Amino acid sequence: MSEENWIEVGSIDSIEEEDLIRFDHQDKTFCVYRLTDGFYATDGICTHEAVHLEDGLVMDDEIECPMHQGIFNIKSGEALSPPACEDLKTYPVKVDNDKIFIKID
Amino acid sequence: MKNNIIILGGGQAGIYAAREIRQNDTESNIKILGEENLLPYERPPLSKDFLLDKKNEEDLYFHSSDILKNENIDFENILINKVDFEHKKLFSKNEDVYTYDTLLISTGSDNKRLSLNNNLNDDVYYLRNLEEAKIIKEKVSDKNKITIIGGGFIGLEIASSLSQLQKKVTVIEIGNQLMGRIIPKQIADLVQKTHLENGNKIILNKQIDKITKKNGIYEILLSDNSLIQTDFIIAGIGSTPSVKLFENTNLKLDNGIVTNQFCETSIKDVYAAGDVCNFYHPFYERNMRLESYQHAQNHGICAGKNIAGVKTEYNSIPWMWSDQFNLNLQLTGICDDYDEIIERGNDINNGVIYFFLKNKKIRGACGVGIVGKVGRDIRITSKLTEKNTIIDKQILLDQNQKLNKLIQK
Repeated sequence: MSEENWIEVGSIDSIEEEDLIRFDHQDKTFCVYRLTDGFYATDGICTHEAVHLEDGLVMDDEIECPMHQGIFNIKSGEALSPPACEDLKTYPVKVDNDKIFIKID
Repeated sequence: MKNNIIILGGGQAGIYAAREIRQNDTESNIKILGEENLLPYERPPLSKDFLLDKKNEEDLYFHSSDILKNENIDFENILINKVDFEHKKLFSKNEDVYTYDTLLISTGSDNKRLSLNNNLNDDVYYLRNLEEAKIIKEKVSDKNKITIIGGGFIGLEIASSLSQLQKKVTVIEIGNQLMGRIIPKQIADLVQKTHLENGNKIILNKQIDKITKKNGIYEILLSDNSLIQTDFIIAGIGSTPSVKLFENTNLKLDNGIVTNQFCETSIKDVYAAGDVCNFYHPFYERNMRLESYQHAQNHGICAGKNIAGVKTEYNSIPWMWSDQFNLNLQLTGICDDYDEIIERGNDINNGVIYFFLKNKKIRGACGVGIVGKVGRDIRITSKLTEKNTIIDKQILLDQNQKLNKLIQK
Protein backbone atom coordinates (compact mmCIF):
# COMPACT_ATOMS: atom_id res chain seq x y z
CA MET A 1 0.00 0.00 0.00
CA SER A 2 1.50 3.30 -0.97
CA GLU A 3 1.06 6.20 1.44
CA GLU A 4 -0.19 8.62 -1.19
CA ASN A 5 -3.44 6.74 -1.66
CA TRP A 6 -4.65 7.74 1.80
CA ILE A 7 -6.94 10.69 1.27
CA GLU A 8 -7.98 12.99 4.11
CA VAL A 9 -11.72 13.12 4.64
CA GLY A 10 -11.92 15.54 7.56
CA SER A 11 -11.94 15.69 11.33
CA ILE A 12 -13.47 12.90 13.38
CA ASP A 13 -15.88 15.46 14.81
CA SER A 14 -17.41 15.96 11.38
CA ILE A 15 -19.42 12.74 11.75
CA GLU A 16 -21.86 12.03 14.56
CA GLU A 17 -21.94 8.53 15.98
CA GLU A 18 -24.22 6.14 14.03
CA ASP A 19 -24.16 8.56 11.12
CA LEU A 20 -22.32 9.20 7.88
CA ILE A 21 -21.03 11.95 5.66
CA ARG A 22 -20.61 12.10 1.94
CA PHE A 23 -17.07 12.52 0.65
CA ASP A 24 -16.27 13.37 -2.96
CA HIS A 25 -12.82 12.91 -4.39
CA GLN A 26 -11.95 13.55 -8.02
CA ASP A 27 -14.77 11.91 -9.98
CA LYS A 28 -15.74 9.44 -7.26
CA THR A 29 -18.10 9.71 -4.34
CA PHE A 30 -18.02 7.84 -1.03
CA CYS A 31 -19.82 7.48 2.27
CA VAL A 32 -17.76 7.64 5.45
CA TYR A 33 -19.44 6.27 8.56
CA ARG A 34 -18.87 6.59 12.27
CA LEU A 35 -20.09 3.49 14.08
CA THR A 36 -19.74 2.73 17.78
CA ASP A 37 -16.48 0.87 17.18
CA GLY A 38 -14.84 3.10 14.59
CA PHE A 39 -14.90 4.62 11.13
CA TYR A 40 -15.74 2.89 7.85
CA ALA A 41 -16.08 3.83 4.20
CA THR A 42 -18.02 2.53 1.22
CA ASP A 43 -18.89 3.64 -2.28
CA GLY A 44 -21.41 6.44 -2.16
CA ILE A 45 -23.89 5.19 -4.74
CA CYS A 46 -26.31 2.33 -4.08
CA THR A 47 -25.63 -0.72 -6.25
CA HIS A 48 -29.34 -1.08 -7.04
CA GLU A 49 -30.15 2.30 -8.57
CA ALA A 50 -28.18 5.47 -8.94
CA VAL A 51 -28.98 7.16 -5.65
CA HIS A 52 -26.50 8.44 -3.09
CA LEU A 53 -26.49 6.68 0.24
CA GLU A 54 -25.69 9.93 2.10
CA ASP A 55 -29.41 10.30 2.84
CA GLY A 56 -29.76 6.70 3.98
CA LEU A 57 -30.38 5.46 7.49
CA VAL A 58 -27.49 4.06 9.53
CA MET A 59 -28.59 1.44 12.04
CA ASP A 60 -26.02 -0.58 13.94
CA ASP A 61 -23.64 -1.84 11.23
CA GLU A 62 -26.07 -1.31 8.37
CA ILE A 63 -26.83 1.39 5.85
CA GLU A 64 -30.27 1.43 4.30
CA CYS A 65 -30.76 3.08 0.92
CA PRO A 66 -33.26 5.96 1.11
CA MET A 67 -34.83 5.12 -2.24
CA HIS A 68 -35.87 1.48 -2.08
CA GLN A 69 -34.67 0.27 1.35
CA GLY A 70 -31.93 -1.99 0.06
CA ILE A 71 -29.67 -2.73 3.05
CA PHE A 72 -25.88 -3.19 3.11
CA ASN A 73 -23.47 -4.16 5.84
CA ILE A 74 -21.22 -1.13 6.24
CA LYS A 75 -18.17 -3.14 7.31
CA SER A 76 -18.27 -5.83 4.62
CA GLY A 77 -20.38 -4.10 1.96
CA GLU A 78 -22.58 -7.19 1.73
CA ALA A 79 -26.04 -6.62 0.24
CA LEU A 80 -28.38 -7.88 2.97
CA SER A 81 -31.86 -7.09 1.76
CA PRO A 82 -33.54 -6.78 -1.65
CA PRO A 83 -33.91 -4.93 -3.92
CA ALA A 84 -30.14 -4.58 -3.48
CA CYS A 85 -28.34 -7.75 -4.51
CA GLU A 86 -24.90 -6.54 -5.56
CA ASP A 87 -22.43 -5.82 -2.74
CA LEU A 88 -21.19 -2.32 -2.00
CA LYS A 89 -17.46 -1.71 -2.32
CA THR A 90 -15.70 -0.88 0.95
CA TYR A 91 -12.47 1.05 1.58
CA PRO A 92 -9.89 0.97 4.39
CA VAL A 93 -10.11 3.85 6.87
CA LYS A 94 -7.58 5.12 9.39
CA VAL A 95 -7.60 7.88 11.98
CA ASP A 96 -4.47 9.91 12.53
CA ASN A 97 -4.34 12.97 14.82
CA ASP A 98 -8.14 13.09 14.96
CA LYS A 99 -8.33 13.16 11.20
CA ILE A 100 -10.04 10.51 9.08
CA PHE A 101 -8.32 9.08 6.00
CA ILE A 102 -9.61 6.62 3.45
CA LYS A 103 -7.53 4.55 1.11
CA ILE A 104 -8.76 4.78 -2.44
CA ASP A 105 -7.41 2.29 -4.93
CA MET B 1 -41.91 -34.92 7.82
CA LYS B 2 -41.51 -34.81 4.08
CA ASN B 3 -44.38 -32.94 2.43
CA ASN B 4 -45.35 -32.00 -1.08
CA ILE B 5 -45.56 -28.25 -1.02
CA ILE B 6 -46.95 -26.50 -4.08
CA ILE B 7 -46.74 -22.77 -4.60
CA LEU B 8 -49.29 -21.61 -7.14
CA GLY B 9 -47.97 -18.39 -8.64
CA GLY B 10 -44.42 -17.64 -9.77
CA GLY B 11 -44.05 -14.04 -8.65
CA GLN B 12 -42.22 -12.34 -5.83
CA ALA B 13 -44.34 -13.68 -2.96
CA GLY B 14 -44.00 -17.21 -4.33
CA ILE B 15 -40.23 -17.23 -4.68
CA TYR B 16 -39.63 -15.63 -1.27
CA ALA B 17 -41.98 -18.15 0.32
CA ALA B 18 -40.19 -21.03 -1.40
CA ARG B 19 -36.76 -19.97 -0.20
CA GLU B 20 -38.04 -19.33 3.33
CA ILE B 21 -39.62 -22.79 3.47
CA ARG B 22 -36.33 -24.31 2.34
CA GLN B 23 -34.41 -22.46 5.06
CA ASN B 24 -36.59 -24.11 7.67
CA ASP B 25 -37.35 -27.42 6.00
CA THR B 26 -34.66 -29.24 4.07
CA GLU B 27 -36.75 -32.33 3.31
CA SER B 28 -40.04 -31.37 1.69
CA ASN B 29 -40.58 -31.13 -2.04
CA ILE B 30 -41.17 -27.53 -3.08
CA LYS B 31 -42.60 -26.79 -6.49
CA ILE B 32 -43.54 -23.40 -7.88
CA LEU B 33 -46.12 -23.39 -10.67
CA GLY B 34 -45.84 -20.19 -12.71
CA GLU B 35 -48.04 -18.95 -15.55
CA GLU B 36 -45.20 -17.08 -17.20
CA ASN B 37 -42.33 -19.02 -18.70
CA LEU B 38 -39.88 -16.92 -16.72
CA LEU B 39 -38.27 -17.26 -13.34
CA PRO B 40 -39.68 -14.81 -10.78
CA TYR B 41 -38.63 -11.26 -11.65
CA GLU B 42 -38.89 -7.73 -10.30
CA ARG B 43 -41.81 -5.76 -11.66
CA PRO B 44 -41.08 -2.20 -10.47
CA PRO B 45 -38.49 -1.49 -13.20
CA LEU B 46 -40.93 -2.48 -15.99
CA SER B 47 -42.61 0.94 -16.02
CA LYS B 48 -39.39 2.85 -15.45
CA ASP B 49 -35.84 1.67 -16.11
CA PHE B 50 -36.92 -1.10 -18.50
CA LEU B 51 -38.86 1.33 -20.71
CA LEU B 52 -35.92 3.73 -20.51
CA ASP B 53 -33.43 1.02 -21.52
CA LYS B 54 -31.52 1.45 -18.27
CA LYS B 55 -32.28 -2.13 -17.27
CA ASN B 56 -32.77 -5.15 -19.47
CA GLU B 57 -34.45 -8.48 -18.94
CA GLU B 58 -31.43 -10.15 -17.32
CA ASP B 59 -31.32 -7.44 -14.63
CA LEU B 60 -34.83 -8.24 -13.44
CA TYR B 61 -34.60 -11.79 -12.10
CA PHE B 62 -34.67 -12.20 -8.33
CA HIS B 63 -32.56 -15.34 -8.34
CA SER B 64 -30.71 -17.38 -10.88
CA SER B 65 -31.83 -20.87 -11.85
CA ASP B 66 -28.66 -22.10 -10.09
CA ILE B 67 -29.89 -20.83 -6.74
CA LEU B 68 -33.21 -22.60 -7.19
CA LYS B 69 -31.41 -25.76 -8.23
CA ASN B 70 -29.05 -25.58 -5.24
CA GLU B 71 -31.96 -25.13 -2.89
CA ASN B 72 -33.89 -27.90 -4.57
CA ILE B 73 -36.83 -25.71 -5.52
CA ASP B 74 -38.65 -26.80 -8.69
CA PHE B 75 -40.11 -24.24 -11.03
CA GLU B 76 -42.60 -25.30 -13.68
CA ASN B 77 -44.31 -23.15 -16.27
CA ILE B 78 -47.89 -24.37 -16.33
CA LEU B 79 -51.39 -22.95 -16.40
CA ILE B 80 -53.61 -24.43 -13.72
CA ASN B 81 -57.29 -24.25 -14.54
CA LYS B 82 -58.98 -26.31 -11.84
CA VAL B 83 -58.54 -26.82 -8.11
CA ASP B 84 -59.94 -29.60 -5.97
CA PHE B 85 -59.31 -28.55 -2.38
CA GLU B 86 -61.07 -31.58 -0.95
CA HIS B 87 -58.64 -34.02 -2.58
CA LYS B 88 -55.71 -31.59 -2.55
CA LYS B 89 -55.22 -31.59 -6.29
CA LEU B 90 -54.56 -29.04 -9.01
CA PHE B 91 -55.28 -29.71 -12.67
CA SER B 92 -53.69 -28.15 -15.70
CA LYS B 93 -55.40 -27.49 -19.00
CA ASN B 94 -53.82 -30.69 -20.34
CA GLU B 95 -55.20 -32.69 -17.41
CA ASP B 96 -51.85 -32.94 -15.66
CA VAL B 97 -52.51 -33.51 -11.96
CA TYR B 98 -50.49 -31.97 -9.14
CA THR B 99 -51.09 -33.34 -5.65
CA TYR B 100 -50.12 -31.31 -2.61
CA ASP B 101 -50.01 -31.69 1.14
CA THR B 102 -49.69 -27.94 1.60
CA LEU B 103 -50.65 -25.29 -0.94
CA LEU B 104 -49.60 -21.66 -1.06
CA ILE B 105 -51.59 -19.44 -3.39
CA SER B 106 -49.63 -16.45 -4.62
CA THR B 107 -51.41 -15.73 -7.88
CA GLY B 108 -51.09 -11.95 -7.54
CA SER B 109 -53.47 -9.57 -9.23
CA ASP B 110 -54.77 -8.80 -12.70
CA ASN B 111 -55.22 -5.47 -14.42
CA LYS B 112 -58.72 -4.09 -14.61
CA ARG B 113 -59.66 -3.60 -18.23
CA LEU B 114 -61.65 -0.87 -19.90
CA SER B 115 -64.75 -2.12 -21.59
CA LEU B 116 -65.20 -0.28 -24.83
CA ASN B 117 -68.33 -0.68 -26.88
CA ASN B 118 -66.51 -1.30 -30.11
CA ASN B 119 -63.75 -3.47 -31.43
CA LEU B 120 -60.95 -1.32 -30.00
CA ASN B 121 -60.40 -3.31 -26.82
CA ASP B 122 -57.19 -4.78 -28.24
CA ASP B 123 -55.96 -1.30 -29.14
CA VAL B 124 -55.59 -0.36 -25.48
CA TYR B 125 -52.36 -1.58 -23.86
CA TYR B 126 -51.73 -2.53 -20.24
CA LEU B 127 -48.57 -3.11 -18.27
CA ARG B 128 -48.18 -5.77 -15.61
CA ASN B 129 -45.70 -8.31 -16.92
CA LEU B 130 -42.47 -8.36 -18.87
CA GLU B 131 -44.14 -9.36 -22.13
CA GLU B 132 -46.50 -6.39 -21.94
CA ALA B 133 -43.61 -4.05 -21.13
CA LYS B 134 -41.70 -5.33 -24.16
CA ILE B 135 -44.72 -4.76 -26.41
CA ILE B 136 -45.29 -1.23 -25.13
CA LYS B 137 -41.60 -0.39 -25.49
CA GLU B 138 -41.58 -1.55 -29.08
CA LYS B 139 -44.92 -0.01 -30.07
CA VAL B 140 -44.28 3.46 -28.68
CA SER B 141 -40.92 3.76 -30.39
CA ASP B 142 -42.40 5.33 -33.53
CA LYS B 143 -45.34 7.07 -31.84
CA ASN B 144 -45.49 10.65 -30.66
CA LYS B 145 -48.73 11.42 -28.82
CA ILE B 146 -49.44 8.92 -26.06
CA THR B 147 -52.52 8.95 -23.86
CA ILE B 148 -52.59 7.21 -20.52
CA ILE B 149 -55.94 6.42 -18.99
CA GLY B 150 -55.67 6.36 -15.21
CA GLY B 151 -53.61 8.64 -12.97
CA GLY B 152 -52.42 6.02 -10.49
CA PHE B 153 -48.86 4.86 -9.79
CA ILE B 154 -48.45 2.76 -12.91
CA GLY B 155 -49.96 5.34 -15.26
CA LEU B 156 -47.86 8.14 -13.86
CA GLU B 157 -44.64 6.12 -13.88
CA ILE B 158 -45.22 5.26 -17.54
CA ALA B 159 -46.08 8.93 -18.19
CA SER B 160 -42.79 9.94 -16.60
CA SER B 161 -40.77 7.40 -18.60
CA LEU B 162 -42.41 8.23 -21.93
CA SER B 163 -41.95 11.93 -21.32
CA GLN B 164 -38.25 11.23 -20.82
CA LEU B 165 -38.37 9.47 -24.21
CA GLN B 166 -39.59 12.81 -25.66
CA LYS B 167 -43.20 11.68 -26.14
CA LYS B 168 -46.14 14.05 -25.80
CA VAL B 169 -48.05 12.48 -22.91
CA THR B 170 -51.59 13.10 -21.71
CA VAL B 171 -52.92 11.48 -18.54
CA ILE B 172 -56.67 11.23 -18.04
CA GLU B 173 -57.90 10.57 -14.52
CA ILE B 174 -61.50 10.10 -13.50
CA GLY B 175 -60.96 11.34 -9.91
CA ASN B 176 -60.27 14.84 -8.66
CA GLN B 177 -56.62 14.11 -7.87
CA LEU B 178 -53.83 11.81 -8.99
CA MET B 179 -53.16 8.55 -7.09
CA GLY B 180 -56.36 9.17 -5.15
CA ARG B 181 -56.83 5.65 -3.86
CA ILE B 182 -54.04 5.88 -1.28
CA ILE B 183 -52.01 9.07 -1.65
CA PRO B 184 -53.01 12.25 0.22
CA LYS B 185 -54.01 15.13 -2.05
CA GLN B 186 -51.25 17.41 -0.76
CA ILE B 187 -48.59 14.98 -2.00
CA ALA B 188 -50.44 14.16 -5.22
CA ASP B 189 -50.56 17.87 -6.09
CA LEU B 190 -46.78 18.16 -5.75
CA VAL B 191 -46.30 15.18 -8.06
CA GLN B 192 -48.78 16.66 -10.54
CA LYS B 193 -46.80 19.92 -10.60
CA THR B 194 -43.66 18.02 -11.59
CA HIS B 195 -45.49 16.25 -14.43
CA LEU B 196 -46.77 19.59 -15.72
CA GLU B 197 -43.33 21.17 -15.48
CA ASN B 198 -42.00 18.33 -17.59
CA GLY B 199 -44.58 18.93 -20.28
CA ASN B 200 -47.12 16.21 -19.48
CA LYS B 201 -50.77 17.13 -19.71
CA ILE B 202 -52.97 16.04 -16.81
CA ILE B 203 -56.75 15.95 -17.13
CA LEU B 204 -58.70 15.32 -13.92
CA ASN B 205 -62.40 14.70 -13.23
CA LYS B 206 -63.12 13.36 -16.72
CA GLN B 207 -64.57 10.10 -17.87
CA ILE B 208 -63.96 8.47 -21.21
CA ASP B 209 -67.21 8.52 -23.18
CA LYS B 210 -65.99 6.99 -26.40
CA ILE B 211 -62.85 6.00 -28.27
CA THR B 212 -62.83 5.88 -32.06
CA LYS B 213 -60.10 5.28 -34.62
CA LYS B 214 -59.70 7.21 -37.87
CA ASN B 215 -56.77 6.75 -40.25
CA GLY B 216 -54.62 5.20 -37.55
CA ILE B 217 -55.29 8.03 -35.08
CA TYR B 218 -57.45 7.54 -31.99
CA GLU B 219 -60.00 10.08 -30.85
CA ILE B 220 -60.96 9.99 -27.21
CA LEU B 221 -64.19 11.75 -26.37
CA LEU B 222 -64.36 12.90 -22.75
CA SER B 223 -67.40 13.50 -20.57
CA ASP B 224 -67.19 17.28 -21.12
CA ASN B 225 -67.30 16.71 -24.90
CA SER B 226 -63.65 17.58 -25.35
CA LEU B 227 -61.72 15.47 -27.82
CA ILE B 228 -58.17 14.16 -27.53
CA GLN B 229 -56.28 12.86 -30.53
CA THR B 230 -53.60 10.34 -29.82
CA ASP B 231 -51.33 7.79 -31.50
CA PHE B 232 -51.33 5.20 -28.71
CA ILE B 233 -53.37 4.38 -25.61
CA ILE B 234 -52.22 2.76 -22.39
CA ALA B 235 -54.56 2.14 -19.48
CA GLY B 236 -53.67 1.69 -15.82
CA ILE B 237 -56.96 1.71 -13.98
CA GLY B 238 -56.28 -0.53 -11.03
CA SER B 239 -56.18 -4.22 -10.40
CA THR B 240 -58.19 -7.04 -8.97
CA PRO B 241 -56.94 -10.07 -7.04
CA SER B 242 -56.39 -13.12 -9.27
CA VAL B 243 -59.01 -15.40 -7.77
CA LYS B 244 -61.00 -16.57 -10.78
CA LEU B 245 -59.77 -20.11 -10.27
CA PHE B 246 -61.32 -20.24 -6.79
CA GLU B 247 -64.68 -18.63 -7.44
CA ASN B 248 -66.72 -21.81 -7.27
CA THR B 249 -64.85 -23.40 -4.40
CA ASN B 250 -65.14 -23.26 -0.60
CA LEU B 251 -62.22 -20.87 -0.33
CA LYS B 252 -63.39 -17.73 1.43
CA LEU B 253 -63.08 -14.72 -0.88
CA ASP B 254 -63.79 -11.07 -0.18
CA ASN B 255 -61.73 -8.62 -2.23
CA GLY B 256 -59.14 -11.39 -2.51
CA ILE B 257 -58.46 -14.52 -0.53
CA VAL B 258 -59.28 -13.89 3.10
CA THR B 259 -56.35 -14.83 5.34
CA ASN B 260 -55.56 -14.41 9.02
CA GLN B 261 -52.33 -12.98 10.41
CA PHE B 262 -50.59 -16.32 9.80
CA CYS B 263 -51.38 -16.34 6.04
CA GLU B 264 -53.87 -19.16 6.62
CA THR B 265 -56.98 -19.25 4.44
CA SER B 266 -60.38 -20.68 5.33
CA ILE B 267 -59.23 -24.12 4.13
CA LYS B 268 -56.83 -26.24 6.14
CA ASP B 269 -53.33 -26.59 4.65
CA VAL B 270 -54.03 -23.83 2.16
CA TYR B 271 -52.11 -20.59 2.63
CA ALA B 272 -52.05 -17.41 0.56
CA ALA B 273 -49.61 -14.52 0.24
CA GLY B 274 -49.09 -11.26 -1.63
CA ASP B 275 -51.42 -9.16 -3.79
CA VAL B 276 -54.09 -11.86 -3.89
CA CYS B 277 -54.77 -11.70 -0.13
CA ASN B 278 -57.15 -9.66 1.89
CA PHE B 279 -55.21 -10.31 5.08
CA TYR B 280 -55.76 -9.47 8.73
CA HIS B 281 -53.22 -6.96 10.02
CA PRO B 282 -53.00 -7.26 13.81
CA PHE B 283 -51.34 -3.86 14.30
CA TYR B 284 -54.09 -1.98 12.48
CA GLU B 285 -56.72 -4.48 13.68
CA ARG B 286 -58.33 -4.70 10.26
CA ASN B 287 -58.15 -6.55 6.97
CA MET B 288 -56.35 -5.01 4.04
CA ARG B 289 -55.13 -5.87 0.58
CA LEU B 290 -51.80 -4.44 -0.54
CA GLU B 291 -50.06 -4.37 -3.89
CA SER B 292 -46.44 -3.55 -3.25
CA TYR B 293 -42.94 -4.88 -3.57
CA GLN B 294 -42.24 -4.93 0.16
CA HIS B 295 -45.53 -6.63 0.94
CA ALA B 296 -45.09 -9.33 -1.70
CA GLN B 297 -41.65 -10.12 -0.30
CA ASN B 298 -42.44 -10.00 3.42
CA HIS B 299 -45.82 -11.69 3.14
CA GLY B 300 -44.22 -14.46 1.09
CA ILE B 301 -41.53 -14.90 3.75
CA CYS B 302 -44.15 -14.96 6.50
CA ALA B 303 -46.21 -17.58 4.66
CA GLY B 304 -43.03 -19.62 4.14
CA LYS B 305 -42.28 -19.62 7.85
CA ASN B 306 -45.81 -20.67 8.76
CA ILE B 307 -45.85 -23.42 6.14
CA ALA B 308 -42.57 -24.72 7.56
CA GLY B 309 -44.09 -24.80 11.03
CA VAL B 310 -42.52 -21.62 12.42
CA LYS B 311 -45.67 -19.86 13.62
CA THR B 312 -45.21 -16.20 12.68
CA GLU B 313 -47.63 -13.30 12.76
CA TYR B 314 -47.58 -10.86 9.84
CA ASN B 315 -47.14 -7.46 11.40
CA SER B 316 -45.13 -5.62 8.78
CA ILE B 317 -45.92 -1.90 8.55
CA PRO B 318 -46.88 -1.27 4.90
CA TRP B 319 -44.36 0.58 2.77
CA MET B 320 -44.31 1.46 -0.89
CA TRP B 321 -42.61 3.80 -3.30
CA SER B 322 -43.04 5.30 -6.72
CA ASP B 323 -40.37 6.96 -8.85
CA GLN B 324 -41.47 9.62 -11.32
CA PHE B 325 -39.03 11.97 -13.06
CA ASN B 326 -36.49 12.95 -10.38
CA LEU B 327 -38.98 12.38 -7.56
CA ASN B 328 -39.17 9.52 -5.12
CA LEU B 329 -42.51 9.17 -3.37
CA GLN B 330 -42.89 6.92 -0.34
CA LEU B 331 -45.73 5.85 1.85
CA THR B 332 -45.64 3.99 5.12
CA GLY B 333 -48.49 2.69 7.24
CA ILE B 334 -52.02 3.77 6.43
CA CYS B 335 -53.05 7.37 5.85
CA ASP B 336 -56.84 7.09 5.96
CA ASP B 337 -57.48 6.76 9.69
CA TYR B 338 -56.28 9.79 11.65
CA ASP B 339 -57.29 12.71 13.86
CA GLU B 340 -54.34 14.98 13.10
CA ILE B 341 -52.04 15.77 10.16
CA ILE B 342 -48.54 17.19 10.63
CA GLU B 343 -46.52 18.62 7.75
CA ARG B 344 -42.74 18.42 7.71
CA GLY B 345 -41.02 20.60 5.11
CA ASN B 346 -42.51 22.57 2.27
CA ASP B 347 -39.90 22.34 -0.47
CA ILE B 348 -39.79 19.33 -2.74
CA ASN B 349 -36.00 19.75 -3.05
CA ASN B 350 -35.62 18.94 0.64
CA GLY B 351 -38.60 16.58 0.84
CA VAL B 352 -42.13 17.11 2.11
CA ILE B 353 -43.79 14.62 4.44
CA TYR B 354 -47.30 14.49 5.84
CA PHE B 355 -47.75 12.45 9.01
CA PHE B 356 -51.13 11.02 9.89
CA LEU B 357 -51.62 10.62 13.63
CA LYS B 358 -54.29 9.14 15.83
CA ASN B 359 -54.20 9.60 19.59
CA LYS B 360 -50.74 11.22 19.22
CA LYS B 361 -49.31 8.11 17.58
CA ILE B 362 -48.31 7.88 13.93
CA ARG B 363 -50.54 5.62 11.82
CA GLY B 364 -48.96 6.46 8.50
CA ALA B 365 -46.97 8.99 6.54
CA CYS B 366 -46.53 9.95 2.95
CA GLY B 367 -43.70 11.98 1.52
CA VAL B 368 -42.22 13.09 -1.74
CA GLY B 369 -38.98 14.78 -2.67
CA ILE B 370 -36.05 14.78 -5.00
CA VAL B 371 -34.62 11.25 -4.96
CA GLY B 372 -33.14 10.40 -1.56
CA LYS B 373 -34.77 13.18 0.43
CA VAL B 374 -37.65 11.42 2.18
CA GLY B 375 -36.52 7.81 2.50
CA ARG B 376 -34.68 8.08 5.81
CA ASP B 377 -37.51 9.92 7.56
CA ILE B 378 -40.12 7.56 6.14
CA ARG B 379 -38.10 4.56 7.34
CA ILE B 380 -37.77 6.01 10.83
CA THR B 381 -41.49 6.72 10.73
CA SER B 382 -42.21 3.03 10.08
CA LYS B 383 -40.22 2.19 13.19
CA LEU B 384 -42.01 4.84 15.27
CA THR B 385 -45.34 3.53 14.03
CA GLU B 386 -44.44 -0.05 14.83
CA LYS B 387 -43.37 0.90 18.36
CA ASN B 388 -46.52 2.95 18.99
CA THR B 389 -44.34 5.87 20.04
CA ILE B 390 -46.08 8.93 21.50
CA ILE B 391 -44.77 11.68 19.28
CA ASP B 392 -43.16 15.01 20.12
CA LYS B 393 -44.82 17.08 17.41
CA GLN B 394 -42.21 19.84 17.49
CA ILE B 395 -39.60 17.40 16.22
CA LEU B 396 -41.90 16.11 13.47
CA LEU B 397 -42.66 19.65 12.33
CA ASP B 398 -39.10 20.86 12.22
CA GLN B 399 -37.04 19.55 9.33
CA ASN B 400 -33.85 20.70 11.08
CA GLN B 401 -34.42 18.19 13.86
CA LYS B 402 -33.52 14.60 13.10
CA LEU B 403 -36.30 12.08 13.53
CA ASN B 404 -34.02 9.44 14.99
CA LYS B 405 -34.13 11.54 18.17
CA LEU B 406 -37.65 10.21 18.55
CA ILE B 407 -36.53 6.60 18.27
CA GLN B 408 -33.85 6.93 20.90
CA LYS B 409 -36.24 8.27 23.53
